[in-house]
Amino acid sequence: MDVSNLNVIVGEGTCGIAAGSKEVIEAFQKHAPEMNIRTVGCVGMCHQEVIAEVNDGNGNKHIYGNVTKKTVPQIIDFHKGEGDLPEKQLIFSPDDQDLDKWRYLAHQTRIALRNVGYLDPTSISEYQARDGYKAIKKILTEMTPEQVIEEVKTSSIRGRGGAGFPTHLKWNFAKQSPGDVKYLICNGDEGDPGAFMDRSLLEGDPHNVIEGMLIAAYSFGASKGYAYIRAEYPLAVKNFGKAIKDAHESGVLGDNIQGSDFSFDIKIKEGAGAFVCGEETALIASIEGDRGMPRFKPPFPAIKGLFGKPTIINNVETLANLPWIINNGGKAYASHGTEDSKGTKVFALAGAIKKGGLVEVPMGTKIRYVLEDIGGGSSSDLPLKAVQLGGPSGGCVPESLFDTTIEYAAINATGAIMGSGGMIVMDGTTCMVDLAKYFLGFTQNESCGKCTFCRIGTLRMRELLTKICDGHGEMEDITVLEELTEQIKKSSLCGLGQTAPNPVATTLKYFRNEYEAHIKDKKCPAAVCKSLITHTIIPDDCSGCSLCEMQCPVNAIEGQKKVKGSFVIDQAKCINCGMCFEVCNSKAIIVK
Amino acid sequence: MSQSLEAKVEFEDVLSWIKRIGSDSSSTVPLLQAVQSEYGYLPREAMDMIIQNTDITGSQVYGVATFYSQFRLKPVGRHIIRVCHGTACHVTGADRLDTSLRHILNITDEEQDTAENGSYTIEQVACIGCCSQAPVLVIADEVSGNLTGANAQRALKKHAKKNEEIVAKI
Repeated sequence: MDVSNLNVIVGEGTCGIAAGSKEVIEAFQKHAPEMNIRTVGCVGMCHQEVIAEVNDGNGNKHIYGNVTKKTVPQIIDFHKGEGDLPEKQLIFSPDDQDLDKWRYLAHQTRIALRNVGYLDPTSISEYQARDGYKAIKKILTEMTPEQVIEEVKTSSIRGRGGAGFPTHLKWNFAKQSPGDVKYLICNGDEGDPGAFMDRSLLEGDPHNVIEGMLIAAYSFGASKGYAYIRAEYPLAVKNFGKAIKDAHESGVLGDNIQGSDFSFDIKIKEGAGAFVCGEETALIASIEGDRGMPRFKPPFPAIKGLFGKPTIINNVETLANLPWIINNGGKAYASHGTEDSKGTKVFALAGAIKKGGLVEVPMGTKIRYVLEDIGGGSSSDLPLKAVQLGGPSGGCVPESLFDTTIEYAAINATGAIMGSGGMIVMDGTTCMVDLAKYFLGFTQNESCGKCTFCRIGTLRMRELLTKICDGHGEMEDITVLEELTEQIKKSSLCGLGQTAPNPVATTLKYFRNEYEAHIKDKKCPAAVCKSLITHTIIPDDCSGCSLCEMQCPVNAIEGQKKVKGSFVIDQAKCINCGMCFEVCNSKAIIVK
Repeated sequence: MSQSLEAKVEFEDVLSWIKRIGSDSSSTVPLLQAVQSEYGYLPREAMDMIIQNTDITGSQVYGVATFYSQFRLKPVGRHIIRVCHGTACHVTGADRLDTSLRHILNITDEEQDTAENGSYTIEQVACIGCCSQAPVLVIADEVSGNLTGANAQRALKKHAKKNEEIVAKI
């Protein structure tokens, strides 16, 4: 059968590339050059990457997951009518639209992410074909700035970057603030390790973010915009830059947009790697060319911000919701969610989860639903132990509280925060003390150094946690950790310091037994902390392959090649790096 | 580390960046980014040229250069390997990627991050946002995910072969 009328669409976000999408595209080009091949952003089913869709242009589509260059010929053969359906890879087909794998997307409510994975981010016409730039045309012809603010007030959307401040209130402050020049900053400095929804939006649907910026700018009268994007996201910078250029050429960005008297332009500022720049006043200092250090508020940026002018900073995800809200009405948005928290929220699922990726669900959904019904539960044989919400500023929610609903207040009550939406899932192989040490190491490193308790207090906490992980901890250390937690929260100027102790506070609250095991028994229950574990080879299981000896970076393993059970680890030399454990095919190495 | 890694700074290049980007204080970060993308680090000479030819003060240039984690003051190898140490990568074994790469590049001194032959520099980065493919690393511009220590070595060997660099045999 002729396949020249078929389209192949391959997901090529950063995660797709990491999984090998370039090789897959090359394979399609090699085996079926007559097919029409194009690329889209990441649909958020990261666990299925590389994802390829084959469609006939008439709505009949087959979607395949975990595609490699080796499975490409099989897929092509099937569509040529020369082979069987590659069932193992199949996620969706016209004949079977309720496959388990597809439910990952089917169970979501996608508003912010409505376009990612469905359009080519480098094409403005594809965005326009999906109602793109309709909202900006609508507000320029039919709505006053006050009406835009009112509509967004009806939607009740709150800032999706973490703090959850009502968006319309922020805009109102800036609107009432006097001044000819006002700025809008799109905060794409997604610094929380574990969150990647902003990357996906900037890479996969940049025009949506630009249109969101236009709506925000129109509402309070900004004429200049900055998109502050992390330098660690090169593809986002590239795609967003292309989108700005195309938007200019199409007349939706620049002077007198669509013939109106509204003018707005956007400049990209690449971040240089500083977590604290997620804090509004630090971000402003960074754009002004200074060290990214926060300052005291008030004056709030809405009154006196960038270059001393009224400035609003909106998060990427917040902005991505705005065109939908204008097109469908604030009421439609507010119909999702709960009394406390309206609308939807995007989460980035990763860690010990079967189906990792991006998940957008209505507020009020239970954490358990996201982890089990959508995420498919634990990726190992071990049950889930906890989930870290809100990155280094957030906290660990234990399995016993998985029935908590996703709402600002309910999540705060657990000691964690909504944050930007990172969800790192953990099973029994994660040591909670080590995790707390990791986060404290992170915040201590990223502390700008302005406030004493944040600068030195986090260092002291990190030292104590290291001491406990090394097996030298004493029970009094826990008391000191708890005291420091209170002091740092009280004595820090910005959100970084105020939330830095959260991971320690929540792990102490829910996993105190793990701290006690490290201190009293000198044992790490998850077998992670290097000073408290040993690696040994079980002679009966050893095949004599010598892989462990080759991989050992400190030459601690010796034995005779091809002689079963001859390999032994010299405990005096062993640094417990785990390389031997990882390469041993016979599972002959035990960690205790 | 061998002396040859020090970059030779061209005055004309620095001037052209100043002309393109600007010479006011808000240009500090982009100017330093331009310098680093050319030389791989911030050579002292290039920073001095910026100070002498713009309105940006020495304290601001050095303050910014030492504040942001992106900037490096030491020369780097011909290629950079960025090992992600985000939360997901941390819990799935980012440490082992570091260990295995240091092993294959024969970097034994804990203070060092560049191979003796100047081929590769290993850098630890906060999060590159590929959390569901954790653990992840980036060699030059190529992202690889779902790695074990041995896979990371394989990815490096592949890159080394293509770029005619020498790494240890394991």
